[in-house]
Formats: sequence, structure tokens, C-alpha cells
Amino acid sequence: MPFRPMRILISGLSLLLLFALPTLAQTETPKTEVVKVDSDTFSGLDARPIGPATMSGRIASIDGAIEKGRLTLYVGSASGGVWKSVNGGTTFKPVFDKYTQSIGAVTIDPSNPKTVWVGTGETWVRNSVSVGTGIYKTMDGGENWQHLGLADSERISRILVDPNHGDTVYACATGHLWDASAERGVFKTVDGGKTWQKSLFVNNDTGCAMIAMDPQDTKILYAAMWQFRRKPYLFTSGGPGSGLFKSTDAGVTWKRMTQGMPEGDLGRIGIAVAPSRPSVVYAVVEAKHSALFRSDDLGESWTEMNSGAAIVGRPFYFAHLFVDPRDYDRVYKPGTGLVVSDNGGKAFSGIAGSVHSDFHAMWINPANPDQMFVGTDGGLYTSEDRGNTWRFIANLPLSQFYHVSYDMEQPYNVYGGLQDNSSWFGPSRATSGIQNRHWKSVYGGDGFWVFEDPSDAEYIYAEYQGGNLGRINRKTLETKDIKPFPDAGEKKFRFNWNSPIQISPNSKGTIYFGSQFLFRSHDHGDSWERISPDLTTNDPNKQRQEESGGLTVDNSDAEAHTTIYTICESPRNGDIIWAGTDDGNLQITRNGGKTWTNVVGNVAGLPSNTWVSTVEASRFEEATAFATFDGHAGGDMKTYVYKTTDYGKTWQSLATPDITGYAHVIKEDTVNKNLLFLGTELGLFISVDGGRQWAQFKGGNFPAVAVRDIAIHPRESDLILATHGRGIWIVDDITPLRALTPQVLAMEATFVESRPAVQTIPASEFGFNGDAEYVGRSASEGAPITYYQRKRHIFGDLKFEIYDSSGKLVSTVPGSMRRGLNRIEWSMRMKAPKVPPAAGLVPNFFSFIGPRVLEGTYTVKMIKGKNTYTEELKVIPDPRSKHTREDRLRQYETVMKLYDMLGELTYQVDTIADARDQSRDRATKLPAGDVNRKRVEDLARSLEVVRSKLVATKEGGGITGEEKIREQMGTLYGAVNGYEGRPTQSQILRMEALKKEFDVVVAEFDTFTKKELPVVNAILEKRKLDPIRVMTKEEWEKKQSKQ
Amino acid sequence: MFRRFFLSLTCLTILALPVSAQTVDEIVNKHIQARGGLEKLKAVKTIRYSGKMQMGQGLEAPAIMEQKRPNSMRMEFTVQGLTAVQAYDGKTGWSLMPFGGKKDPELMGEEELKSISEEADFDGPLVDYKEKGNKVELVGKEPVEGTDAYKLKVTLKNGDVDYLYLDTDSYLQLKQESKRTVRGAERESEVNLGDYKEVEGLMLPFSYEMGLKGVPQKQKIVIDKVELNPAVEDMRFKMPEVKKVEPKPEEKKPEEKKPPEEKK
Repeated sequence: MPFRPMRILISGLSLLLLFALPTLAQTETPKTEVVKVDSDTFSGLDARPIGPATMSGRIASIDGAIEKGRLTLYVGSASGGVWKSVNGGTTFKPVFDKYTQSIGAVTIDPSNPKTVWVGTGETWVRNSVSVGTGIYKTMDGGENWQHLGLADSERISRILVDPNHGDTVYACATGHLWDASAERGVFKTVDGGKTWQKSLFVNNDTGCAMIAMDPQDTKILYAAMWQFRRKPYLFTSGGPGSGLFKSTDAGVTWKRMTQGMPEGDLGRIGIAVAPSRPSVVYAVVEAKHSALFRSDDLGESWTEMNSGAAIVGRPFYFAHLFVDPRDYDRVYKPGTGLVVSDNGGKAFSGIAGSVHSDFHAMWINPANPDQMFVGTDGGLYTSEDRGNTWRFIANLPLSQFYHVSYDMEQPYNVYGGLQDNSSWFGPSRATSGIQNRHWKSVYGGDGFWVFEDPSDAEYIYAEYQGGNLGRINRKTLETKDIKPFPDAGEKKFRFNWNSPIQISPNSKGTIYFGSQFLFRSHDHGDSWERISPDLTTNDPNKQRQEESGGLTVDNSDAEAHTTIYTICESPRNGDIIWAGTDDGNLQITRNGGKTWTNVVGNVAGLPSNTWVSTVEASRFEEATAFATFDGHAGGDMKTYVYKTTDYGKTWQSLATPDITGYAHVIKEDTVNKNLLFLGTELGLFISVDGGRQWAQFKGGNFPAVAVRDIAIHPRESDLILATHGRGIWIVDDITPLRALTPQVLAMEATFVESRPAVQTIPASEFGFNGDAEYVGRSASEGAPITYYQRKRHIFGDLKFEIYDSSGKLVSTVPGSMRRGLNRIEWSMRMKAPKVPPAAGLVPNFFSFIGPRVLEGTYTVKMIKGKNTYTEELKVIPDPRSKHTREDRLRQYETVMKLYDMLGELTYQVDTIADARDQSRDRATKLPAGDVNRKRVEDLARSLEVVRSKLVATKEGGGITGEEKIREQMGTLYGAVNGYEGRPTQSQILRMEALKKEFDVVVAEFDTFTKKELPVVNAILEKRKLDPIRVMTKEEWEKKQSKQ
Repeated sequence: MFRRFFLSLTCLTILALPVSAQTVDEIVNKHIQARGGLEKLKAVKTIRYSGKMQMGQGLEAPAIMEQKRPNSMRMEFTVQGLTAVQAYDGKTGWSLMPFGGKKDPELMGEEELKSISEEADFDGPLVDYKEKGNKVELVGKEPVEGTDAYKLKVTLKNGDVDYLYLDTDSYLQLKQESKRTVRGAERESEVNLGDYKEVEGLMLPFSYEMGLKGVPQKQKIVIDKVELNPAVEDMRFKMPEVKKVEPKPEEKKPEEKKPPEEKK
């Protein structure tokens, strides 16, 4: 362990403090007052996003505007916030990270592009959809946002801003998905969002799915009302509430439009008005017979145009229409693919090309309708030629992970499955950042749990929806399906959309898989042993996925229910296995599956049949376990998190008002049993006291994104977060969190333990990739120094001195100021070598920086104002390094010799330049006609000649290629410095040769000055001028230390 | 059921509410007092900071910054014995980047010139802000990494916007955010200030962390010494004559100023 908690206070005022100790002690131990743990207590530990953006994630809404000739885009993502580009899609920045990340609508005010409206809550209401918190507005291009109500609308599908009057805005509020709600329908404001009137409302089960405006007469509005409901096991679209409505008085009155519309109940309807001829209106209508309809009389009467599969498929997921801004007969229909009609909707052709399927959003540039952007389940694409060809935008890390795991490689890899985007693995760190190209996919479909096979690292377990389980060779990608099957006469197994795979923590070859039964395999999935009866309620009312969809059947496995959802074998005892089901059973076996007990009835305060989102058996006590429950799919948004210490007989709630969002996962730390991590739909929450207090983690600008899964890397102590919408984030080394006891939190300042500092092998890569590709952050390569301070550091010094084992000061590092935990880094290098001035820099990167210090134990002193704190810091070599300690010693000795030689060279060059400058000075002081003036001038010239033997002197820029001893020695130093193994024989010989050449020039200078200076100084003395002196080493060193 | 969501929103709204208890001028005056008071600030005619720029990998470049009333400034830093200079004399901004072998001063580009001319405001944008034509608004209280601060929006005379964060206890500046337009695109940067120490009655920050807004990695500058009213010749800020006959600046091609890294 690197930092031992010595906390010795060595102070300039230590004597004074000694006297003051009794009073100090009183103030340091206040009336057992607990220091409040809040976000800023630990947000000084950065979370770093590693992406990836290679598959990106679902986009729900896009809007664009031309600002000063450049294209500004706002992209609203399904669960990763709002992203803004000011360069037509080359780069993006997230502008909505403080708020809910689920976006339904983004609309730029047509009369002022700095004003942008965001309706939160996606309306492509698939099983995994998130929730919103109302409507927001920015008036400064996304920097500051105001929340303007409709907080209980849960989701908003579209916002219209009157182009003639920016304060008049219509919000199409879809409303609650999983229960009835009143705040839904069309809302209107005429005062920029201060107040809202309910303009159109049908009933508590029916919301607004789409709204459109006539661009010429903005009083004419069309609205699609939609009756819909999702349950965990059934989705229904359609009902008497649904219908197409029209208003001609800006939303004061509405009438239902039926002429030419299908008979019977309707479902979801998409509407688009042709901008170039607003009498033409298109509507795609879900009904018993779904079709595209067209009106040529302002929506009064409708004619069916087309009912092809591409038009009518999955209306709950695709209900948009887009009409070309200039051609009223050209209409685009996003769906599973993207189709376009050039004849007013009669016939359509596919233009999806190589784009990811599932199109939800589109923006066509009104100034150039050939240019368009589409948003899909796999991110954003753009076309410059009306959809003939597409370019993927590789800069949006919106990846929607369900789960995450890791392996034991150096550096370790991260694995996870994503919404409609397969299963992937990629490195946790990389030399030039973690790039899209580093990620590899396996198995396809919708991905969920992925694990490396712990008993054979060449293989990976992955799955896709419907309980399809595979074992994949990571090198060849050969795939073997290993799904368990029913016995003769048995019904098809019920597998959750997101079926649980678990790896035994106790026996390497054992894996678990769950349908309604729990399966165990000891042979890589070749054979399965059924180790439980049906662990669910087996309620036939909840086994209706074949009926799911309502008017349009949609049986995609997403509504498979009464299934096992979470499995955990106790790390302390392999016979204890927990299983939680989506219909609210929490089961435990204590005999390896022979008998099971449903303990959910013991969970006080939990509504029955609440989905068990995670069960986590403690690694410290076998009777202890944690469980999270998630009732959101029944309309219950509360956070449920519980702990048992008696095998589930009794449960204690750990929820506090500081937690927001329904709970997905709880993770117990691997070392400190009081350290808990909770992932909810709205972020990550941490407790350092066993769940009594919780605070949201925001380190490294971690957004309020859904945290679906959490892993802790046991070797690195890294916290790995699977977000559903913002990819994977890593908090490197959570050792400091383990040390946050109440005693530490009450201290003014203290060191906090970190893992040993690793000297990462120096490396670089070639690449000039431009700005259009996302690069995830790699880990810092410095030695972490972690400290806690109760208040922000404002006054006086805060710096860190690092001493080697002999007590020599090696480095000084400035501190950072924030309240709570701070983590700074030390480069583990000595000061840069002294290099004499010359024509240019030595052209070797490693010549700029100092030698790396040797592995070992260093002492760190924190100097904070008048106080000093001391800790130890352990520095270890890169575990990947093949160099022995002997090799590294040899390198260190050599690089230090060169380091010292460069110092000596600097002294000599400075001395020569100094003598030259003195000569030049004296020469100017001699009268112009003086015969001796030339002699002094010659002396200056000769000295410059000597200097030019040591350093490059050709000035004027350009690549002169001039190399003198400085450049050669500097380059050699750089080469030896950049490789931490044994230097080559050639390098050592070269060092010796350069030393000889250097000595020759030094001797020449000595001989020359010894001969010449007495003569010149005698002349100068006669003229009463100061003699020319050669600067001594002591004088030079004194000058250096002043710098 | 949305109560909790809504609660968290209400909290955010409260944080953003304007603080009516104190006016902008009261806060600005307390800030000036905290720095030592107007009289002491005005008594400083020249100032020199000496310190180190932390350039990563343990590379520390000795750095000097000099300022002279009303608005001259010069910054230097040294790597491998080669000293780079950026300076402004109230009219002309210039720089000297010697690393590639060319040691002639060059005129600054328009954006750099704008930036240095703003930096050169001797007392900073809050002192005499009305006379300078700057507009200052109190946005509200907003914490800086968990420490309460007043957030002031300063609109400079030229339209550029800075946000200054003043500690609610000490009224000293904790942070500055700047938004600048570079070739038509906005660039946002931020600086944290700390290690305040008293120098002859003035409170001055001795530590700076600077970088692009929202990017956790920051460049640090640590000040070792501050001299008040040192003798600083005007010549230090003037662009030196280029000795050789060269084409006029506007005909010159832009020089590559990056240090050579081809042998990384």
C-alpha cells in the first residue's frame, strides 16, 4: 500500500501547535457531528468516458439552423442528452448534462437560433425507454436552461414554435407510458413558456403523438392523439381516444378529422405538412388497416396512398413523415428502413443503404434539400445526395449499454451489450486515447450480458434477445450457440429480453443462465443442469407477449415476462444462490439449488410484484445481500434499495431522499463493506457509510445518465460504469473512497491512500485523424497523489514535494484547490535536463523531459499554508514491462550520465557565450581607431567559433539539419530516456565518444583562454577596462538557482 | 410519483435564482477591498510575476509576466534555453517563437491580439468597469466545485463575455470562464485561481489552473515571486525592429510555430 496513514504534522509552527493542541483537539472532535457527504466530497475523482461512439445510440430528434452561413445542429438522443454541433456535424458537445438525458423533441426557434426548446422524455416507447421531466428552453444557444413546466408530462414528442412569434409555442405532450396521467395532450404558451394552457386533451390514457403547423397560416394546426399503454408484459397501441385533429384558430378549438380516414379505433399517427404547398398534408395512420394518407385540401379529406410494409411497420417506434422543403410530392418515411416517394406517396423506394436500421428522426436542410441528417438506433448519419450515400457521424458517444464486465488483461478490456447494437469489447486504456477502431463486436442482435470465459480467455459468452446464448472465439469470431432447450412436451422457455448470465465467483468453469428456471453449466454451456423449479409467479396473465402491440402486433421478445432477471452466487459460499424475477420474486437457495425460498414477502414497504433489478450477495458475509427493485414499468418511479443480513429474513431499506431515479443496480465494494454504489435511471450514487447517506457522483462532469450496471475491477480498483446512453465511464482507482471514514471527513486536510503508482511504458502512435471521430479518454499516466480537504484551498501555498529515499527533493507539484477529495499527479520524472541555448530545440520529444525516477518508495510532503503533512508513495514498474530491475538500473545510470553531461555542456556553453559577450562589450568600449580593438573583436569571434563547435548556430528557421555536440547529445539522451530497458552497446559507446569530443572542445577553450586572456586583459587594464573573466562553476550554479 | 424528479428540479431553479440581497456594486466593491483596496491597487504601476509553467511530463518552463499601466504586457517562457515571448504595448501585439530556429518577432494574429489586449487590462475588468465600458451583471450564486461563489457576467466593451466567480466568504476570485470567438466559432476556456498570498497589502493568486471548459486536464502555472513596481522599460513591450530586409508583414507567409516533434 503506497500511502501509510502516518499523518505526521511537521510544521514550521509545530511548537506553537503543540501548545495549542488541547484546544485543537476540542475543535477537531466536535459533538460527534457527522460531516455531510455530498457530491463534491468525492467528485474530485474524475470519471472518464471511454465511449465508444463506433455504434453510437438511438437518436430521437434533430433540428438544424443556418447561423452566419454555418450549419448548427441540435441532436436529441433517446437517453444521452442533447448534443450541439456548430460545424455541420464535425464535432459535438453535450449541452444538457445537468438534466434528464431522455429527449423527445428539440426545436430551434425559427426566428432566433439562440433560442432552443427541449421536450424531455423520448416517445419511441420501446420497453427500455427512459422518462422525462418536462419542457426546457435556452436563450443562449444551450449554455443555460430554464425548466418551464409540464414536469409530469413524462414525454414530449414535438414542440412547435410559431415562426412569426417566438413566444407562441405548442408542446405535444405524450404523457405517461405505464399509467394514466392528466398532464398530456397539446399545450400552448403565448408568453415563452411562463404559463401553459391545455389546448387539446382527450382523456388520461391518450396523449399527443404528433403536431404539425401550416407554415403559411400558423393558426392551422394538426394534432395526432394517441391512446397507448405499456405494461412489463404487454404493449397496447390504439383505442377510441386516438384520432387526427385539426384547429384553424391556433389551438382554441379542435375538430376530429374523419373523412377518408380508416374506420374503427386508430393507433399512432404521424403528420407532415408540405412546406412548399401547405394544402398538401400527409398522415401515416395506424389502424386495423394501417396506411399512408394524403389530403390536398388542408386536411379536410383524406385518400389512402400506400400501405406497404415499410410504411405501416411498428407505428409505436416509427411514426414520422418528412416532406421535401421544396417538392410537395416528395415524402420520406422513416421506419425500420428509410423510404422515399417522389410521386406524392403512391410508391416508395428504399434509401437506407448501409445505415443502421430503425430511423426515428430526420432533418432536411431547407436551403439545400439534398443534404439531410437521419437519427437511428445506431446514431446519426448524413447524406449530401438525397440519400444515395451516407456518412456515419462517429463523434457521438451515445452508446446504450445494459451491462458491463471486464477481463484480466493488461490493460484490461471492458465488455458490454447494447440496445440494438450487439455486444462489444474494448480496452480500458490506450496510448492515443480509446478510439472507435479499438472496439470489436461479437454475436449481434441486442446485446446484454457479456463475459470473458474465465476458464479460457480466448472465448467470450454473449447473448441476444430471446435467451440466445453464444460462446464466441474472440480471435476467429467462430460462434457456437449454447442455449438450453426444453424437454419433450415442455413449453418454450420464457427468457427475459435481457436474460441473466452469471459467472460463478467460486468455481472458474461454472456459469449460470436464467429463463423461468435457473440453469448451471460446468462445461462452457455444452450441457445445462436445471437447478430450480419455475422461480417466477408463472402468472398466465403476464404471459401474453404474442398479443403485444395492440392494433399492430409486435412480438419482439421485449415483453417476455415472468422470467428470471438477476442471478448472484455468493462469493463466500457457492451453495448460496440468489435469483430475482421480473414479476417480483426474490429467491434464495442455500444448498446449491436443491431447495428455494421466496423471501420477497419479507421486504417491508415494497409493493408486490415489483421487478427485481439486481440482487447482489455480499463478499464479506454470506448472510448479507443487497437488492434493488424497479417499479417504473408499473408507473412506480420510487427508488427501492434494500439490505439483508440474515439470508433475506428481514430487509432494511437504504433509500434516502438524496437518491433520485428508479434503481437498476447496487454494487458492494470489493474491499470496504461500507462503500456502496447505486446506479439509477438518473445517475450514480455513492455511500461511504453502508447506505446511511448517499450522494450523487458528478466527477469528471459525469452526467445525470442512467447507470444500468457497475463493475469493480479487482486488480485495478477501477469503478466501471455501464450507462444507457453515454457509453462506458471509468473512475480510475477508487482506493481513496475506501478511506473516507467520518474521522477523515472531519479533518482539515489529510492524505488519502491510492494504489501504487505504475510507470507506464512510454509510447506514442502516429495518427492525424481530424476532429470528426470520438476519442475516449485514457487513464492518466502520472503517479496519483490523493488528498482530502474539508474546505476549498484559497489562501497560501498548496504544493507537494517529493523526496527520494535518500531525502533528496526530486520534484515539486502544485496542488488542486477543490473541497473534498483531490487527485493530482506527479510525472515520476526529474526536472527537465539543462540544455544550452542554440538555433532551435533538440528534435527529440524525450529530450524535453527529465529522466524517469527509479521504482521504489518516495516521500510526499503536502505543504498547505503553514502545515506540512507527510505520506509515502510507492512507485512500481509497468506490469507489462519485460525489463528487469537490473536493466532499468542500467538505463537510469546511463540516462543520468547523459543528463549530467548536458548540464555540464550547458555550463560550458554559457561560459563561452559569457566570455564572448564580455569581449564584445570591451571591444565596443575601445575607441574605433584603437589597434587593440581588432584583437578583442577577434577574441570574441574565436570564442563564437568554439561555441559553434558545441551547438548548432545556423539561425533563420527551416530544417537546417545542423547537428553539433548539443544536438547529438540531446538526441542520444532522448533516445535513452524514452526506453526504460538496457541501453544498446552503440548508445553507450556513442555516449563515450561524445564525451571525448566534448572534452576536446573544453580543453581547446581552456588552452585558448589561458593563452589569450592574460594578453587581452593586460590591454584592457591599461585602458582601465574590466578584465574578461571566465565564469566559474559556482557562479554559474548560483545563477541557475535564481531562475 | 414525479415528486422526486420535481424536487430536484426545484433545487436547480433555486440555485439559479438571482441573489437580490446584494447588488453588483456591493459585490464588486467587496471584491476590490478583498484584493487590497482601490488605493493600493492603483499605487501599482508595474508588476512582475515569476514562476513556472507546468507543461506535463514534469517539464517546467520558467515563466515571467510583466505588466505596466495602462495596458502593456509581456509574457515569456523558456525551454532548452530558448525563450518565447508574447507582448503587447497597448497597440501592437507580437510574439517571438524561437523553437524552430527563427528568432524574429512576428505580429500576432487578430484573435491572439484581441486576447492579449484584454489580458493587458491592468486591474482586471471589474475595477472601474463602468468607465471602461464593461457591463457587469450578477447571475446568481453558483458553486465552484462545491464552494459557494457569486457568478458575475462581465460583458467587455468589445462584446466578449467573461464569467467571474467570487468566493462568497472572501470575495476573492476563484474562477473565470471566458467565451471567445475564433474564426467564427466559440471557444470556451476556464481558469481556476488559488494560493492567494499577501504582497505588500495586495492579495494575489499564486496558482492558476487553465484549460478548455469542461476538460478535466488543466495546465498549471505556479508563481514563485511577485514584484510590485519594478523598473520595467517600455522597450520590453515594443516589437523589436526586424534587422534584415524582409517582406512587409502582410506579405509574409504564416510560419509554422510548433516545436519540432517529428522524432517523437
